[in-house]
Amino acid sequence: MMFEVAAVALFPAMFLALARAIAGPTVYDRVLAVNTFGTFTVLMIAVLGFMTDQKDFIDIALAYALINFIGTIAVLKFFAVGDFGYQQESKK
Amino acid sequence: MKHHSILRIITKLLIPLILLFALYVQFHGDFGPGGGFQAGVIFAAGLILYALVFGLDTASEVIKEWVLMILVPLGVLIYAGVGVASLILGGNFLDYNVLAHDPVHGQHLGILLVELGVGVTVAAGLTTIFFAFAGRGRRNPEGALITKAANPTQEPQR
Repeated sequence: MMFEVAAVALFPAMFLALARAIAGPTVYDRVLAVNTFGTFTVLMIAVLGFMTDQKDFIDIALAYALINFIGTIAVLKFFAVGDFGYQQESKK
Repeated sequence: MKHHSILRIITKLLIPLILLFALYVQFHGDFGPGGGFQAGVIFAAGLILYALVFGLDTASEVIKEWVLMILVPLGVLIYAGVGVASLILGGNFLDYNVLAHDPVHGQHLGILLVELGVGVTVAAGLTTIFFAFAGRGRRNPEGALITKAANPTQEPQR
């Protein structure tokens, strides 16, 4: 019962993040909203895994969290410098 | 002066865990979700994260492109080599049963080697694709990367 309540409670939060991703006036609002949505997706996968008693879902949630983080970094770098290979000046 | 200190430190902390998780997915694939392709993708994600945060010049010093060019066909060679080995030992192509004295052990060994080949190829291939995208406009006519360390005056074109 507890996991069902948690899963249902996640839906409004995900909806709010999605609304901010669509409405967000700047690109940083959208990036943050998509990152938040990804975090909620990780939570949803974990809750669904415990609900159906499939412990393998934790592995999938971990992989999703990693890809979410790296994707956010890539998008932010692309909007910051417009180039994935950009190299900062090295310290002299 | 270096910027993005938090990002650098978190990345340094996170990359070993990502690579470890990739190896876990690779070798635990018999019992849980995972396998060669997924492990290769996660491994490549770790390397791509390094290249994103520390820049392409630093990354191409850590991950040499000629090593990638060897690793991509090496994985396919491992895969096909297991198949040819089972042919030589008297079975069909990729017939794992003949790889060891006991068919069960042969199955274990064959799956392990084939998934290792897939993982190596996918990890190296995805890293190569990222290098190809990120290195656009940064290559000399021979195809080698132009790094700031080699040519400090020459600014790479966007």
